[in-house]
Amino acid sequence: MVKITVNGQQIEADPKKPLIHACHTHDVDVPMYCYHPGLSPVGSCRICQVEVKQGEAPGRVMVACRTYPAEGMVVDTESPKAHETRRECLEFLLKNHPLDCPICDKAGECDLQDFTYAEGQAAGRTHEPRRPLEKRKSLGDTIVLDEERCILCSRCVRFFEEIPKQAQLTVSDLGSRSVISTFMDKPLKGKYQGNIADLCPVGALTLTKFRFQARVWNLTKMASTCGECSRGCSTTVEVLRGSDVKRIRPRENLDVNGWWICDIGRFAFSHINAPNRLEGSLVREVPGLSIARNEDALCAVRDMMMRHKEVLFLVSPWLTVEEGQKLLDYSKRFGSKPIFVSPEHNSEKDTVLHTGDPCPNRRGLTELGIEGLPQKAAIERMQKSKCIVLLGERIVELIGASAVEALPHATSVAVFDCHALDLPQVQACVGIANSAERTGTWVNIDGVKGPIAAVKPTPRNVRALERHLDDLVKLSPSTESMGARAR
Amino acid sequence: MVIVKRKELSFAEQLYIPEILRGLSITFRKMFEPKVTRQYPEEALIKTDVTRGQPRLVVNEDNSIACVSCGLCEAACPAYAITIDGGETEREIEREPKRFDIDMLRCILCGFCEEACPKDAIYMSDELELADYSREALIYDMDKLKRPKKALQDRIDYVNRINDRWQTPSST
Ligand code: SF4
Ligand code: SF4
Ligand code: SF4
Ligand code: FES
Repeated sequence: MVKITVNGQQIEADPKKPLIHACHTHDVDVPMYCYHPGLSPVGSCRICQVEVKQGEAPGRVMVACRTYPAEGMVVDTESPKAHETRRECLEFLLKNHPLDCPICDKAGECDLQDFTYAEGQAAGRTHEPRRPLEKRKSLGDTIVLDEERCILCSRCVRFFEEIPKQAQLTVSDLGSRSVISTFMDKPLKGKYQGNIADLCPVGALTLTKFRFQARVWNLTKMASTCGECSRGCSTTVEVLRGSDVKRIRPRENLDVNGWWICDIGRFAFSHINAPNRLEGSLVREVPGLSIARNEDALCAVRDMMMRHKEVLFLVSPWLTVEEGQKLLDYSKRFGSKPIFVSPEHNSEKDTVLHTGDPCPNRRGLTELGIEGLPQKAAIERMQKSKCIVLLGERIVELIGASAVEALPHATSVAVFDCHALDLPQVQACVGIANSAERTGTWVNIDGVKGPIAAVKPTPRNVRALERHLDDLVKLSPSTESMGARAR
Repeated sequence: MVIVKRKELSFAEQLYIPEILRGLSITFRKMFEPKVTRQYPEEALIKTDVTRGQPRLVVNEDNSIACVSCGLCEAACPAYAITIDGGETEREIEREPKRFDIDMLRCILCGFCEEACPKDAIYMSDELELADYSREALIYDMDKLKRPKKALQDRIDYVNRINDRWQTPSST
């Protein structure tokens, strides 16, 4: 650690990290385009210039992302000289930039727009027309490139070189004709492509799945955790008008995912936005399942469990720690312990983030004492039991509706899932909130807790599993009287 | 507590008839003066240059919509009357609205949207009438809002004239 002075304020800085990092950690604003804390610095955009004085020499303007703090350095980010240099750099960056913010997806969260607004001149000084380039060049299924908007910061190039460690993009051609392109114009591949759309400081790289669908200032952003693998990357879920999940983006968390997430988590809204939700509850009446109040359905579930001596609680690995704990306490009354269905590892495992294990809360549930059972073993257990309670989102999907269908008709099954399951064995179905509609905690593979946020309201009459469990406890006779019944 | 005293009426006022006659004399006098009321709706409202009616969307000569769904009018609208969903098009300008609703019951005809629009795509037309049988019918969608540019030309000219008065040359 070395002592430096930034804008008159004495700070301790790490000499191995660029000056800009020290400034940002001490809330000193320095603009940047090419620097990214997760990538190696290159110093190509020159917008981060600050005035640096060392010893007796007069102050020099230097790029803060390629200068490293040294003992006794005096930095002024707001000196007239620094401002002037940054403004000149900005003018160069804007020379060919279309500034078509009204149709640009980045508008509202664009570093170039913000800085132009703060520092730029109201009118340009060039009279020549701007360089025309391709405005919608497809870089594969995920990304569209607008060559005109690109400021050649090369963040996207470095991302592929340094994070998935597989170079896919490059700067081709020379001078003002330089553009970003893939090698031999091949489409991008791999599952980390989406990150470059977040990385791009301007609106040059956009997501095909989000393009033009919403303005970013209309999105409500909430901190959450990805549920697609046991890494549990920290995410920001962005919702349009309270109910439509539009984007999932990485949230900086150096303990888990750094600045990135994979495309599986990024586009995991098919499940969150799924149609045909079970709204409310269903209870078996002759001849089929009919709509019932939640309380009645819970009573039916309770009666079903009381009729049988043994109850098998099978839960999904998407259960939160809080739900797991409530269920564990409740299942003690029946002398049984819940088991979670643990699907097999998939082939998505890689060296960057994805663990290949689709259970986001494996560690949390295991630490509570809820064991995991592979799908096959779980189905075998089901065949041996007379009374089964399936709980948690995607549980039916995990075991397979056919596995329930194959059970003898005398088996009683109750389902707590987001979708209804209409089979003769099912006595009651209770709709529950999915992972975008409830709060809770998942514990990732390394033991880091991740919050999940209720980013949108549940459908009518649907509640979180935790609430249903609370009510089940209230509706059930106390433990002592149940013990008496068993005797 | 304040006690308000009634005005003591004079004998003539208590008689009532003289006062009625005085009132009627005013009525008769006014009958021969020029009329200032209008028989709305049989008689249309007088529209002037500054009349600011309901907002309408401009349709270009080539039948494409001028709006690019940038959302600035939506953001500027103080009454939250505008709702826009954008989408991609094949046209040269890549973006256009897929849904553009203005809730006419919320719209307060302030003209902020007209002022905010960077694409000259929304103008306060001279249409003022607004009546229907349900609230839903008064949430106007894109089809109800679209107007050919010609129909809005008077307003466009007026706005340009006003803008010229104080605008400095812009960067684009
Ligand atoms: S990249 Fe930024 S400055 Fe450029 S058009 Fe888009 S929003 Fe505007
Ligand atoms: S596309 Fe974006 S990230 Fe890549 S070089 Fe251009 S501005 Fe930078
Ligand atoms: S401000 Fe103009 S271009 Fe933008 S959404 Fe409104 S009408 Fe369309
Ligand atoms: S951020 Fe320092 S040169 Fe680009």
